[in-house]
Amino acid sequence: MYEIRFHGRGGQGAVMAAQSLADAAVRSGFHAQAFPYFGAERRGAPVQAYARIDTKKVRTKSQVYNPDLLVIMDESLSELADIAAGLKPDGRVVMNTTKRPEEVDLGKGVDAVCGTVDASALALEVLKMPVVNTSMLGALARVWDVVPLESIVEAIEDRFGEKLGTRAGILNGEAARTAYDSTIIGRTLGRKEYGKLAEWAPAWNEIPIGNSLRSETRDGVAVGPASSSQNLTGRWKWSTPRYDREKCIRCLRCWWSCPDSAVIRLDDDYMRWDMDHCKGCGICADICPVNAIEMVQGAHTW
Amino acid sequence: MNRMSSMKDVPREDMLIHGHGACPGCGYAATAKNIAKMLGPNTVVYVPASCLVVFGALYPISSWKIPYFFTAFENTGAVTAGIKAALRRRGVDATVVGMAGDGGTFDIGLQALSGAAERNEDVIYVCLDNEAYMNTGIQRSSATPFGAWTTTTPVGQVVKGNRYFKKDIARIVADHNVPYVATLSVAHFTDFVRKVQKAKETKGFRFLHCLTPCIPGWRIEPSKGVSINRLAVDTGMWTLYEVVNGVPKVTYKPKTIVPVTEYLKLQGRFKHMSEEDILTLQGWLCEKWRAHYGEEPGSPPCPVPVHEEVLAHDGDPLYGI
Repeated sequence: MYEIRFHGRGGQGAVMAAQSLADAAVRSGFHAQAFPYFGAERRGAPVQAYARIDTKKVRTKSQVYNPDLLVIMDESLSELADIAAGLKPDGRVVMNTTKRPEEVDLGKGVDAVCGTVDASALALEVLKMPVVNTSMLGALARVWDVVPLESIVEAIEDRFGEKLGTRAGILNGEAARTAYDSTIIGRTLGRKEYGKLAEWAPAWNEIPIGNSLRSETRDGVAVGPASSSQNLTGRWKWSTPRYDREKCIRCLRCWWSCPDSAVIRLDDDYMRWDMDHCKGCGICADICPVNAIEMVQGAHTW
Repeated sequence: MNRMSSMKDVPREDMLIHGHGACPGCGYAATAKNIAKMLGPNTVVYVPASCLVVFGALYPISSWKIPYFFTAFENTGAVTAGIKAALRRRGVDATVVGMAGDGGTFDIGLQALSGAAERNEDVIYVCLDNEAYMNTGIQRSSATPFGAWTTTTPVGQVVKGNRYFKKDIARIVADHNVPYVATLSVAHFTDFVRKVQKAKETKGFRFLHCLTPCIPGWRIEPSKGVSINRLAVDTGMWTLYEVVNGVPKVTYKPKTIVPVTEYLKLQGRFKHMSEEDILTLQGWLCEKWRAHYGEEPGSPPCPVPVHEEVLAHDGDPLYGI
């Protein structure tokens, strides 16, 4: 039995990728299953999806703990946690990154065949939107030859075609083929060590009466009111606002409309952007009456 | 205490701070942030099950700077009333606000809301209306507009999308004879500021109904998360008014009615809609416009109504004699 684990962010299509792979496997004569990890449904959150492929009926229904193949759709996930945990000794990795396989570091103990592809750029080029699932499936076919590319493209065209229209299906198939051709195959050797996961999980007798917490630090984690500023949600963005102070008329609309309080109103009513928390949604650029804000492709920290 | 009348007067300090986990471009977060900011530090916030629970505070990490409380889905009215009673008993004078979603207000929380409104509890009830159960993955609520796709009103061969019209919750609450009811849109900021300020200084039960766009649920571009509210008001899908002690007053009226297609075409949840369905929705909107603003909407998109002579009792002149 082959087990595949997809790591992505909400909105990248990890679930559709797992389903399409299972579909493709069935088309090639295998039995397969695919399902997501259940969590809150929102964009940008780390998500997982799983697929199992076997020559006989798949009876296991659990999550995948020891994958044969790891598909990493967002590079920054590997900085947050040890996502390669449980990878089998002869396992393989497909990763969406601009790096070469030798430069990829998934933590000590990982020594695996690795394919890298710049799926984000590729998806923007072919699909005109940063949804990388189909490109990653193309790269997957190159790294791992159990399910052939033709079945995958067929499954993508059918699944996406049915849901989003024939043209979208063909475009997504195209994205998979392009990614197949531009994947670089090499070997990754993990070096870095992940620290103990910074998470304060209290036992029942440690929970304060009434469950209320003060603003404090426990085991290196800020807890209580206003502790979320430690979450650097700025890592989610794929486009960055650029602010032109000369054009600004200080109407405050961007400051008012920013859902993430990432636009900081200075004492003189000009603005400053908090790039650690800006998610790059583009509301500020959309609402600006004088076009003093423009969205620039990519994550920048100016 | 300074009175806020425009965006310039709103304080810089946030009560719902950055680092929360809402989707990029979340209208829900933008609205909640601004209401919390205006209510200030002397506030207790209660949130039932909704997106705001998931992105605002997951124990032990919280985005709120103010005391925050969370229990079950259906009891926003009851819990806020209880918090207020406890504070009164302790001699603390603080604003108590409950921020529920549309599911927690229109459907599940309706009885507790009605009870609190009937007793005229001294709390602010904010309904952040994103027109479906978005947190659990886009299921229909009674706030979902006609024709919209959700996972429980799918687009099939015969029935395409939601078949029911949106419930007018603000009117239901206003009919409880509460001191203050208002509808808000985060894109109409001056109107927004004035209404929240009014709610803040009123005593008794106050109800604020806010339209909050949902990026994945409405299938819209993240950058449209606030500006789409302008179109919602211009097309009549959303109307801005307040009811002070039972007296309704329109606070903002668009110059002319914009065809509803302008609003629909930006949203993936409406893209399947047939000509016939759009006409039905447009007709409903025209009726709403007439009833709400008390004047004829422009034609097109609204047909001029034909006033047929109503013959009572099928034209029988001797009826009732």
